[in-house]
Amino acid sequence: MSTPGTKHDFEPKIIAFVCTWCTYAGADLAGTSRMQYPANVRLLKFPCTGRIDPIFILKAFQQGADGVLVSGCHPGDCHYIAGNFHARRRFAAFRKLLEFVGVDLNRLQFSWVSAAEGGKWVEVVTELTERVRCMGPMLEFKELALEEQWSGKLDSLELQEAYNQIQV
Amino acid sequence: MQKYLSQENFSTLLEKLIASGKRVVAPKLNAGTVLYEPLKNPAEIVIDRMPRRSGKEAFFPICEEIISYGKEGQKVTVTDIDPARFPETVLVGVRPCDAAAIPMLDAVFSWDYRDEFFLERRKKTTVVGMACTEADDACFCTAVGLSPGDPKGGDILLTQVEGGGYLCRAQSEKGEALVAAHAALFSEPDGHKSLPLAEPQTEKIDLQKVKKWLDTNFEHPDWDSIATRCVGCGACAFVCPACHCFDIVDEGTEKSGTRRKNWDACGFWKFTHHASGHNPRDLQPKRYRNRIMHKFKYYDDKFGQRLCTGCGRCIRLCPAGIDIAAIVEDISKK
Amino acid sequence: MTQPIDTSIYTAVTDAIRTEAARILSDGTVTAVAGYAAARRKGSSQPIVVSDAGNADKLIFTAACVNNLAVYLTKAKKDIPKSGRIGVVVKGCDLRALVGLMGESQLKRDDLYLIGVPCAGVLGSTIQPATELNTDTIAPKCLECVERLPVGCDFVPAVTPPPAPELEKKYASEIARLEAMTPAERWAYWKEQFSKCIKCYACRQVCPFCFCEQCLCDRNRPQMVETTPRPAGNMAWHIVRAMHLAGRCAGCAECERACPMDIPLNLLNRKMAKELKELFDYESGFEVLECGPLATFTEKDDQSFIK
Repeated sequence: MSTPGTKHDFEPKIIAFVCTWCTYAGADLAGTSRMQYPANVRLLKFPCTGRIDPIFILKAFQQGADGVLVSGCHPGDCHYIAGNFHARRRFAAFRKLLEFVGVDLNRLQFSWVSAAEGGKWVEVVTELTERVRCMGPMLEFKELALEEQWSGKLDSLELQEAYNQIQV
Repeated sequence: MQKYLSQENFSTLLEKLIASGKRVVAPKLNAGTVLYEPLKNPAEIVIDRMPRRSGKEAFFPICEEIISYGKEGQKVTVTDIDPARFPETVLVGVRPCDAAAIPMLDAVFSWDYRDEFFLERRKKTTVVGMACTEADDACFCTAVGLSPGDPKGGDILLTQVEGGGYLCRAQSEKGEALVAAHAALFSEPDGHKSLPLAEPQTEKIDLQKVKKWLDTNFEHPDWDSIATRCVGCGACAFVCPACHCFDIVDEGTEKSGTRRKNWDACGFWKFTHHASGHNPRDLQPKRYRNRIMHKFKYYDDKFGQRLCTGCGRCIRLCPAGIDIAAIVEDISKK
Repeated sequence: MTQPIDTSIYTAVTDAIRTEAARILSDGTVTAVAGYAAARRKGSSQPIVVSDAGNADKLIFTAACVNNLAVYLTKAKKDIPKSGRIGVVVKGCDLRALVGLMGESQLKRDDLYLIGVPCAGVLGSTIQPATELNTDTIAPKCLECVERLPVGCDFVPAVTPPPAPELEKKYASEIARLEAMTPAERWAYWKEQFSKCIKCYACRQVCPFCFCEQCLCDRNRPQMVETTPRPAGNMAWHIVRAMHLAGRCAGCAECERACPMDIPLNLLNRKMAKELKELFDYESGFEVLECGPLATFTEKDDQSFIK
């Protein structure tokens, strides 16, 4: 575990999709209790884990996340009774799909963190951040975003220069 | 003037073109599918199988950047694409049906508005066609007035000869320049006999009669039965050498992004969907009618020719088994 | 080694379909019958809707009758008149899609008259329609078929399909091959496959389960999936498509057949089906269920992956 203030070569970008009732409150508790956890995590608050569409996870990776955390209420504690039960099934399936297309599942973490579990929040976030830090940046989606289908590709400026020299 | 190019010299020619930094686009295998794609080495070329998509991609990309924008604070920057960055291209092994579609596209993109993106790419492309020696039962170039050895639209036409190699006929300045630049590879054609060309098994369709029927039958109950089975995908338009509709989309974030031009297809529900929510082509038969109308009437009205070269790709690849040759033939007999 | 597959039953099946279609059309049981008819190319077929008993002899069944006609019955593709009960010619695989659609309240059993086809297999997607059916030309889905004789139909011709050839199950072995790879190798595999995608959406349009009035991927406010056919947008589209079909796909493999670029789309669907079977012991298309596996839950679901 890293100690606060340590300098690192790589600071991973972690996106956390959390439910407002449990995990968000848990993260809040960690803050008000002055617990330290990596500042790499960016929280996005949702009413319920049931509202978190798998597409959000995909989008996060596409837009540059190195790791994604999805966290909500413990089973049985859902504010909407069963939202997290539905989410649990959906994510069980989605992670299998991501794995099959070649995403390393070590970059994706699911957790239950209640409003009273500030300590668990710190633990989950720290562990994911350090794990992703060791893995390095998530390049797959970033590289893909820069790729063009061959027909739309332009000559690089260097190649352009080479042409000009040939014609001279 | 006709020249002979041996199989070996053909490879050497491709190799030299690739080495000169040109983008050499030819049919090759990509994950099991033959597509026109840039060659890395001459051995990759596949000439005995019809590519799944047409060669139009070389100057009408599936997706291309038009502008990009960025925003920092109050400052907005817009960057245009420099046409000088379009690659010099030689398109090799183009089927006559694909080559014949190129002048059709030229006409559209240089009509009232001159599409710089298309025209610049086109200017930088030399088209080396290859006559067909095999046809399947979806091929119908002869039905729409073309043939497996038709030179239309190409700068050079290659015809395979007995015992290997090609007869090469340059038919434009670009073509002659390419032959002249590599003159040592070509020899006199004496004694080389071309392989028999393909003979598609379709009869000539009376396209004047087709147009006449289309002129007066925009509303006709037969459209429903013609197009009931259409499922509304874009496969036919995207594999067509002559279809040229495109859509423009902005993609990106508040801070930066790109405006891109993508292929579009009239079979899509979204194609004519208005911002108001109204869709004038609300049902699939109306969309399919547009496909036939555009190919055999609207384009004819404007440019005096048909927008179909009989390559048969839409017939082979339609998920619902729609056969445009059969439809047009039926119309010609109405 | 290539072995021929016996399709001689298809003559009897064709006759039976014609007789039955003529009967139900003339006695008013149905207003129309959706089936297959011969098309111009030798041996080819295309979907047809027959609404007049006199035209019932246009109906055929051959190894080229590949389409899943269920797609013509779902909401967004409602162009076929649904003024009354409609007859549909269904293979076992197509029937599973209909069963799924009934579960999702898109169709009512009472509105359909199902003419089941005892099936010996159909041709693969890129095969010329006039080709003889053999162990090389058969569609890969037919090698994993468990329902050569559809059950629960209103009418099934009294012929017995020949036993399925004992061949390698292509999807199962391909999934196993991919699973054995490293994530980076799998990523490279799919990247290459998806690079061919042109976003023609044939996979979506032929899918009986893609019945949304407006697809999420056609929306631009917000735009969740890039519509451009670039590598990034292609990857996102195929992931979203596979996810939205997870637990619903009944394995008709129409997406893969329709793909003009030969992308092995059914591989993703089969993989998800396999995972859902392992996770929730669910297989789609066998009985009409109110809720699919991802629309329900139990308190005891596996959560070993959740911290």
